[in-house]
Amino acid sequence: MPRREVLAIVVAVLILFGVPGAALGYRLGWFAAPSALRTIDVVAASPENGGFQPDVLRVPAGQRVRLRFSVPDVTHDIAIGPGLGIDLGQVDAGQVKETEVTFARPGRYTLYCNTWCSPNHWRMRATIDAYDPAQPDELVSPSGPDPVVAALVEQGIDVDALHPAAAVPAEKPSASRSEALAQKIQLPAELEDAAWRRDHAPAQAHEALMARLPALDSQSAWDILAFLWLRDVPSTRLDQAAGQYAKACAACHGESGDGEGPGLDALRAQGLARHHDGSEASTALDDPHTLLGGTSALYYAKIRKGGMGTGMPDFGPILTEDETWALVDDLWTFQFEP
Amino acid sequence: MMAMRLRILTLLPFALLAAAIWWVPLDGFAAAPATRQVTIRASQFAFDPPVLYVNRGDPVVVTLQSSDVVHGLYLDGYGINVRVEPGLPQHIEFVADKTGKFRYRCPVSCGSLHPFMVGELVVSPNDMFARALGLTALTVLATLAFLRHFPTAVPADA
Amino acid sequence: MPEHRIDLLARFPWLKEVLRSRAWQPAGALFTLACFVLAISAGLLGTPAGARNFGIIFVWIVWWALLIIGLVPLFGRLWCAICPIPAPGEWFQRRGIIRRSPGRLRGLGLRWPGRLRNIWLQNLGFLLVALFSAIILTRPAATGWVLMGLLLVGTLFGMAFGQRVFCRYVCPVGGFIGLYALLAPVELRVRDREVCRAHASKDCLTGTARSYGCPWLVYPGTLRRNAYCGLCAECLRACPQDNIALNLRPFGADLLVAGERRLDEAYKAFIMLGCALLYSAVLLGPWGWLKNLANMQSLAGWAGYAAGFLAVALVAIPGVFWLATGLARRISGAAAPMRRLFVDYAYGLVPLGLAGWIAFSLSFVLVNGSYALAVVSDPFGWGWDLLGTAHASWRPWLTGFIPALQVLLLLAGLAISITVTYRIACQEQGAAFTGRAWWGTLPIAGFMTGVTVLFLRLYLG
Repeated sequence: MPRREVLAIVVAVLILFGVPGAALGYRLGWFAAPSALRTIDVVAASPENGGFQPDVLRVPAGQRVRLRFSVPDVTHDIAIGPGLGIDLGQVDAGQVKETEVTFARPGRYTLYCNTWCSPNHWRMRATIDAYDPAQPDELVSPSGPDPVVAALVEQGIDVDALHPAAAVPAEKPSASRSEALAQKIQLPAELEDAAWRRDHAPAQAHEALMARLPALDSQSAWDILAFLWLRDVPSTRLDQAAGQYAKACAACHGESGDGEGPGLDALRAQGLARHHDGSEASTALDDPHTLLGGTSALYYAKIRKGGMGTGMPDFGPILTEDETWALVDDLWTFQFEP
Repeated sequence: MMAMRLRILTLLPFALLAAAIWWVPLDGFAAAPATRQVTIRASQFAFDPPVLYVNRGDPVVVTLQSSDVVHGLYLDGYGINVRVEPGLPQHIEFVADKTGKFRYRCPVSCGSLHPFMVGELVVSPNDMFARALGLTALTVLATLAFLRHFPTAVPADA
Repeated sequence: MPEHRIDLLARFPWLKEVLRSRAWQPAGALFTLACFVLAISAGLLGTPAGARNFGIIFVWIVWWALLIIGLVPLFGRLWCAICPIPAPGEWFQRRGIIRRSPGRLRGLGLRWPGRLRNIWLQNLGFLLVALFSAIILTRPAATGWVLMGLLLVGTLFGMAFGQRVFCRYVCPVGGFIGLYALLAPVELRVRDREVCRAHASKDCLTGTARSYGCPWLVYPGTLRRNAYCGLCAECLRACPQDNIALNLRPFGADLLVAGERRLDEAYKAFIMLGCALLYSAVLLGPWGWLKNLANMQSLAGWAGYAAGFLAVALVAIPGVFWLATGLARRISGAAAPMRRLFVDYAYGLVPLGLAGWIAFSLSFVLVNGSYALAVVSDPFGWGWDLLGTAHASWRPWLTGFIPALQVLLLLAGLAISITVTYRIACQEQGAAFTGRAWWGTLPIAGFMTGVTVLFLRLYLG
């Protein structure tokens, strides 16, 4: 047989069996170069398409680990929390993005998607258990119950329920309008106390203020409360929180807090977005009736717990406590003009 | 060769007419520009509204929203290319200074039918379409006239 | 030899030597086979995101563009010579890839049934692919399975029925390549039919020590059209009389070969025209509801869409053409029966159909071609970067020129189609009655103009 015939046959066999074989082998990891760095391949798909696969990752704490994400369907924003500051940004379908990360402390972390990607976007999470390499067999325990939430439950406050405000301001209270006034008059001591403010709703504070200073008109009182609620909140904190709001909350609550968004449409289509009594969930954060009757601690708890039967996700596994408080601070900017 | 020259000569006036139809400016038909505010909703796999009608010179203000996944809008001919996340509308402003039909497409891989996710911006007067129709009529007339005056004897079985 | 032919092999003897070599066809087929297997592997194992998958981008954008814009209009069925689908089957039959192995072809040698010796199966196959195109063209796995299925069927057919039976009677691509090959300006024909008649041993059919016979079940001695010649040049290698020529010829010459016009080919012309229009509306149009139907969002919806699609391609377009033919017959006083005229005039649609397909293809190829740059570095979407282009972003090319190009193409197609129709009408009437033939052309020209306006409305209006 002439040489070129042999060559042709070899090429044909290589093509017919070599190409698929090599591809399959790569897929099965035969060609993975051994490296000191542990690499974990994760598929990041919408929950309908399998979600994060695998959905539980065990990594040794204190060691550098490479996480490689491939996205098969639509754009996802891949992030790890709480408090790690790891956000790979938006990864489009068909792209592969990797990051090297060290989990300094053992514990349970959450791998999540930070951009609305499907009607079940809020289910798109995975657990990363960073175990102590010295004690690899010890179970990683999730963080304990949140003290603020526990305190509210102990006080008998229904975190899931709406706490509507009976009395609302005529127009949106403005902190700048009342700044001069607030410096001049003698405010009740408790209102000046941040901790008190945290545990009392603006509506309650308004009642207290009006009772102590009957000469004050209602709107000015609201303005003073706006000033107080937004005091001590640096603008950088608000900006950061606003960015987090845009990513985590806007899809359902609306960019402007108007309570309408594609996420909400999806939840409604699934029969969620309702309160226990069957009424439609009040999602408008710019509605004074909805927001002014609740305390900061209450909203903190709602954000961390989620649920309520409305389909609101629980952000406790994703956000640190401080990030959650910052979000609550940002929440008040829907009610109070800085 | 005479026959060839004659044929080319016959086609010449049609060619000139074609050039005229394609390139002669048609400025007299434009309406007065008015600002258009429009919300374009992107979803898998179409834009709503699917077709946008504006006049030449209209300033167009678009609020681009997505109702399901990350989409975007790329507008042919206007150099516009933005992404949009669900819940975070984007604002796009441009002046529709070119007439014709321009397609807006989704630049973000948004699912299976992504390459076919297309909308149309029609800037009136759509003179390119009118010219094309004119050229079509001209082509038909020219071809038929040519065949009439230069009938070819075609063997029954080539 | 008919007039207006330039014998390229006589002009360029080096070309004859190249074509007579046994190596070029297998080399081409091995290359396309490699790409094909890569496409199947990427489709079945690679990312489900179509825009980053070699299977989708290089089959439906790159290969399709090369085929419909270059290979078919210029070289007819040349693709078929290097197509990978029948290649393993052909190598099995020939017991070799390049060489001419001694003895008969290997295989079961089953006989393809006479009732299926036409392109109706190919019409059906093309329509099936068209109905599922929203799925096949966008899901890499679907493309992978379809291509693998074609490869398996092509190979099995080679082993069972032998020759290029698959290519002639089954391949969905072959149906339209054959029809549009009638337009191509190159052809392989015998120089002098008398030489063939006098030559007893028909080596071009039976083969010689250096070559196989024509695998396309065609007798080169009487070949008059490109439709079923796969340009493999076996006949060139075989002919001891040096009677085979590769001719340069006028565009569309085979459309005027009157004696071989058939209803199955006429219907292929209607199907292609219909599909170009429907694809332009469904895939390139702005109507999301139509795309959802095509995308099989609901089975009932898709069934309705499929029924509508088939009605347009198989009933509406041929139906209106039938009326136009009837009118033409009445006006021109042609003697031939309606069915004969219907079939004959349908060949006039071929240039316009090709123009429509090129115009349609240009649109999505120029818009999405940039995906190929990234995919070539990362064919499976696994995060590779073989050539450094994996992060090339999507950028539509030359969108400003697309409408003008589409107008140019459609009008050129229209002019050529009207001219061909007139010439066909002249054939019906006999050479002396060109006046009546001209009048008879008018209704058909009207139909073609209507189709052109529909295209323009979709693209520009």
